[in-house]
Amino acid sequence: MTITRRDFLRSAAPLAGVAGLLVSMPAAAFGQGPEIAVIVHPDVPVDNLTIAELRRILLGDREFWTSGMRVALYLRAPVARERDVAIKDVCQMTEAQFRQHWIAKVFRADTPSGPRIVYSGQMAVDQVSRTPGAITFVEASAVVKGVKVLKIEGKTPGQSGYRVR
Amino acid sequence: MTAHRRAGPGLSRRRGSTPGLAIGTVLLLLTLPLRAVAQGTPQHDPPQPPGEQREYPSLRLVGFADVDFSGTSHREGPRGFSLGQLALHLTSELSPRVTFFGEISFTARTDAGTGDPTAAGFNTEVERLILRFDQSDRLKVSFGRYHTPINFWNTAFHHGQWLQTTIARPEMIQFGGRFLPVHFIGGLVEGSVPAGGWNLNYKGGVGNGRASVISRAGDAGDSNGNRAWLLNGFSKPDRVFGLEFGGSYYDDLVTLSSGSEFRERIVAGYAAWLKEDPELIFEYAGVRHREQGTDVVNWNHGYYIQAAYRLPQFKRLLKPYYRFEHIDIADGDAMFATVPELDMHTVGLRYDASLFAAIKGEYRTWTRGELVPRNHGGFFQVAFTF
Repeated sequence: MTITRRDFLRSAAPLAGVAGLLVSMPAAAFGQGPEIAVIVHPDVPVDNLTIAELRRILLGDREFWTSGMRVALYLRAPVARERDVAIKDVCQMTEAQFRQHWIAKVFRADTPSGPRIVYSGQMAVDQVSRTPGAITFVEASAVVKGVKVLKIEGKTPGQSGYRVR
Repeated sequence: MTAHRRAGPGLSRRRGSTPGLAIGTVLLLLTLPLRAVAQGTPQHDPPQPPGEQREYPSLRLVGFADVDFSGTSHREGPRGFSLGQLALHLTSELSPRVTFFGEISFTARTDAGTGDPTAAGFNTEVERLILRFDQSDRLKVSFGRYHTPINFWNTAFHHGQWLQTTIARPEMIQFGGRFLPVHFIGGLVEGSVPAGGWNLNYKGGVGNGRASVISRAGDAGDSNGNRAWLLNGFSKPDRVFGLEFGGSYYDDLVTLSSGSEFRERIVAGYAAWLKEDPELIFEYAGVRHREQGTDVVNWNHGYYIQAAYRLPQFKRLLKPYYRFEHIDIADGDAMFATVPELDMHTVGLRYDASLFAAIKGEYRTWTRGELVPRNHGGFFQVAFTF
């Protein structure tokens, strides 16, 4: 990935507002918020994930990337929209079920630790850009250079049919 | 300790000097050893950016506990209030691929204060102690003491009463029970492969199996020269998210304290729908015994089916449930001669008082064979994690 959506919007400043409005309008019309990008550290050897693969990562069932690098999952603290999308839409769980799942997961000795918590989109991007194997969810407009945006089911944020929103 | 020992003589020598000088000297003496320790600590790792900072070992502690109340028509088990179990779970990453898991429990003893020497109030038990090496998702190798992975409940909920919907475990896998070997000491190889969305998981293990007291594992060594081994496989298909099903095989030679030996083979299978609306768990285990030197084979069967449903009303805090369980012991099985049969119905309600605490109430009715009068009782539990 060489040009992120944010890079594009920055370079085309006069059009950025219009582009952002056009991108967000259909979502808003259907009562949905802005799209959520799934970003990873640039060294992660994956460009596309299915929703099922993303769910397995979120639930700790997949702990390694194909290269053998350990997955480092960062999630926003509760109430953040990125977290809601990850838990409710991708995992099909409530916040309580998700927490219980992870307490049980660690308790079963399946994995040494749960998701690491970040408190802002900026903090999420910073951590992912610095941590090999890291993955997180951020609003598509928060994506900057230094991270890789994953395709989900072959679609990137902004494309019709993108499902993480 | 070193700091205090050094401070003592210093104080006595400076008695009568000005308080400020004395305090300053004491502070200096107190800090000297600490500085020495700090200077002696090898600085292996250069400063890292925050995102990459990981310290090893990194010990984490999580606890589970429960308080119970029970009343039954015929006495069986504790009456009135009882302290359930305090379970402490320790996790420590020793390196990016090596992890330690431990679980220690404290259980109230019914014989506390009796005997010579006097029995303590609580039993302390190392429930699990595992050191695992993670090569990848496909291959993880570990050694230690496990909850035997031939039963779904045994490896899904362990000693976390708060994690399970009901108050008690199914009797076929009860702690201290004899129908299935609850603990296993040895080595385990495990992993998972996507397999086109089937997400197949496997476990294979070799260990000590049951001790001469068959409710115990061979913690201090095997009771004979024959190791137990097990195979376990299960699937969590992507297409039916929430479904998990699998099966296990276990083989051991058990030597009782009487000296008689039994070849034990266990086949088990389960299916679980783990979403809470509804939650469904079915599990079966068949235990086959053949006494060495004879051709007599006995099969024992145990199963349970549990259904629960988290009500959408009341902020999704209420979860009614029902479970039926059955244990059938072969008449001529000498190894299971004192293992009771069971037919039990359980109806209950779980209320999640907070994200990490639950209150459960249950009614149970059960029989232990045709000649034993039916028993029934009410049970109550407060279970939480901290």
